[in-house]
Amino acid sequence: MLEHMKRDWLSNIRGDVLAGIVVALALIPEAIAFSIIAGVDPKVGLYSSFCIAVIIAFVGGRPGMISAATGAMALLMVTLVKDHGLEYLLAATLLTGVLQICAGYLKLGGLMRFVSRSVVTGFVNALAILIFMAQLPELTDVTWHVYVMTAAGLGIIYLFPYIPAIGKMIPSPLLCIVALTIVAISLDLNIRTVGDMGELPDTLPIFLWPDVPLNMETLLIILPYSAGLAVVGLLESMMTATIVDELTDTTSDGNKECKGQGIANIGAGLFGGMAGCAMIGQSIINVKSGGRGRLSTFIAGLVLIIMVVFLDDWVRQIPMAALVAVMIMVSIGTFSWSSLTDLRTHPLSSSIVMVSTVAVVVATHNLAFGVLIGVLLATLFFSNKIGRLMMVKSDFNELENKRTYEVIGQVFFASAEQFTNAFDFKEAVEIVVIDLTHAHFWDITAVSSLDKVVIKFRREGATVTIVGMNEATETVVDKFGAHNDPKEVEKLFDGH
Amino acid sequence: MTKIITCVDGSAITSAVTEAAVWASKKLNKPLLFLHTLEKEQQHGADDYTGAIGLGARTVLLDEMTKLDEQRSKVALQLGKELLGYVSRQASTAGVGEVESLQRHGDLVDSINDIEGLTRLIVIGRSGKGHDGNFNALGSHIETLLRKASHPVMVIPDTFKTPVSFMIAYDGRETAEIALQRVIDGGLLHGLHCHLVSVKNNESNQNDKFVLAQQKLEGKGFNVTASFIEGNIHESLMEYKEAHDIGLIVMGAFGHSKLRQFFLGSNTLKMLERCKVPMVVLR
Repeated sequence: MLEHMKRDWLSNIRGDVLAGIVVALALIPEAIAFSIIAGVDPKVGLYSSFCIAVIIAFVGGRPGMISAATGAMALLMVTLVKDHGLEYLLAATLLTGVLQICAGYLKLGGLMRFVSRSVVTGFVNALAILIFMAQLPELTDVTWHVYVMTAAGLGIIYLFPYIPAIGKMIPSPLLCIVALTIVAISLDLNIRTVGDMGELPDTLPIFLWPDVPLNMETLLIILPYSAGLAVVGLLESMMTATIVDELTDTTSDGNKECKGQGIANIGAGLFGGMAGCAMIGQSIINVKSGGRGRLSTFIAGLVLIIMVVFLDDWVRQIPMAALVAVMIMVSIGTFSWSSLTDLRTHPLSSSIVMVSTVAVVVATHNLAFGVLIGVLLATLFFSNKIGRLMMVKSDFNELENKRTYEVIGQVFFASAEQFTNAFDFKEAVEIVVIDLTHAHFWDITAVSSLDKVVIKFRREGATVTIVGMNEATETVVDKFGAHNDPKEVEKLFDGH
Repeated sequence: MTKIITCVDGSAITSAVTEAAVWASKKLNKPLLFLHTLEKEQQHGADDYTGAIGLGARTVLLDEMTKLDEQRSKVALQLGKELLGYVSRQASTAGVGEVESLQRHGDLVDSINDIEGLTRLIVIGRSGKGHDGNFNALGSHIETLLRKASHPVMVIPDTFKTPVSFMIAYDGRETAEIALQRVIDGGLLHGLHCHLVSVKNNESNQNDKFVLAQQKLEGKGFNVTASFIEGNIHESLMEYKEAHDIGLIVMGAFGHSKLRQFFLGSNTLKMLERCKVPMVVLR
């Protein structure tokens, strides 16, 4: 236990501290930008990022992953804030935390296996597109100064790292913000700044209970939002955890992460922050900068709040154009560009799943709907594919006027019709034998279509015998637990 | 058949560990198994503080890190193989009949746990790579290993001299009783001169137990010198060790609860840190 803690926290102090600082600097503009997306004061996002990062450093299930206020979550709360105000957002954040803790105890982290790779890619791409789209209001109806500033910002972010020696020592997004702020102040440009977007924090966050009536009405308002937030938060966190697992070649504890995120969100809600989750871009930045342990997440949160509280007069003057440049970088870094070239090589069905996920999200601005549609489509395509793994062979015996049908493969709701159509009811035969020894009947639909077939043959005057019924229907019984046992699986697929 | 599991990592202490393992293998008449683990060093990619993520940031980073890991692991794998070959030859030359070697990825303690069923005795150096020259620091695995191992562990210092006498620290507690029993049942220490030492503590009828322990050992043919001393536990034990030129120390591991150790430290670990002779820790 103590050894574990030591390894998670102290095995990589130098790397974690440096990476934590880099992440904190990158988090500040993002937290502000996401607050603006959600329609709340920048301080809400900043407090939230601080609380979530610090709490999840202790209770999360994936050391080295960065969690804070995120775009995916911010996009879900826009209408709640618009219609009901900040207090309801805080209440929804608390409820989100409770739901996520329940998910952790119910071990729903394992449900991630039903989310296919194409849906994940679609989710990531949709997220990138939404973050980019959220920047557009800052780029419409503005003076040419803003365009020049944004372009210059992007130039600094992408070109500065190529400068030898110092290029890789200073975070380029930070440099972009500092440089553009200095330019804006010294030229006295009349462009929008962070200060125009709302209140910034000037103290540490303080404990406060959301000021909402505790009744059914409130619950009905916040529950739909909280459910969506909980689902999207866990999805993005689980996805990010897999990415970090893959990058660092280590493993994480999904259910602990669910509970940890719940606790972190409750913490954020009680200290005036909005709900958040793991961040794909920031976690990549963290790993890239050498962060591996819990310490890096903790340092990120701590440095963030120190910077913001003590430098609030400067943060106020950051031009929005600089933030827009940083967010464009985040959306470019988040988008899975290889998925575009993969469209040509991947099977059509997975491309359809990916594109539909993106389309639904962009249309509804709700990542949860996109994932739902994606998972549904992927399931349909899959059952269609498995449904085709069925064949009915037949053999006619003239002497006895007997036809033997041999059914091979998977019979279930998707292949039931195909199964029924494989029999020739018009043929005048006396004896029909249906051999099911090599078939699997997976559900009630399959069994009832067999009944239908038998009844039809009997109506035509044939005597029907069924062979191997027991073997075929063994799969109808819901024996999910037994499938982990190689012997049981062998028994199930015996003869194939 | 159970084996003497010998942990080697190629640091300066390796030759002492090999000699000790050879001695134990001959004494117990058990085969030797040299174990080398390739532990992953986690720190790399730490020179990029740009915080910028461009096109395909994830795939680029994954490629880069995989390449680094691959290079490092290949070298480490080769080095480990050569090391295992070298110590195996050394053991064969020294006259051990059966010598095997095993190379595993991952944490050392986990690897030892995985082959628990094959284990008779675990031989390990007191500190490995990264501690060369710094005498007092214990290796990072020792404590975890002692807690998790269900078999005796022999911890070897920088040099190994075939011991002619051993000291068993006996405090009358249950762990000491178990340790005593295992010394009698095992074969490693038979034929060595035994110093049964007890430091006065507040255990009830410690004296009677002490006499009983002496009789037990003598009954099994051990040549016993029994001493009952007073004072600070490790100070006096160390003094006794120096005065009688003890070649090996036997201890029961972790007599106290974890909580107490957290605040007061553990006698076992203190002895390990200060001791310059091999120690056999029994659970």
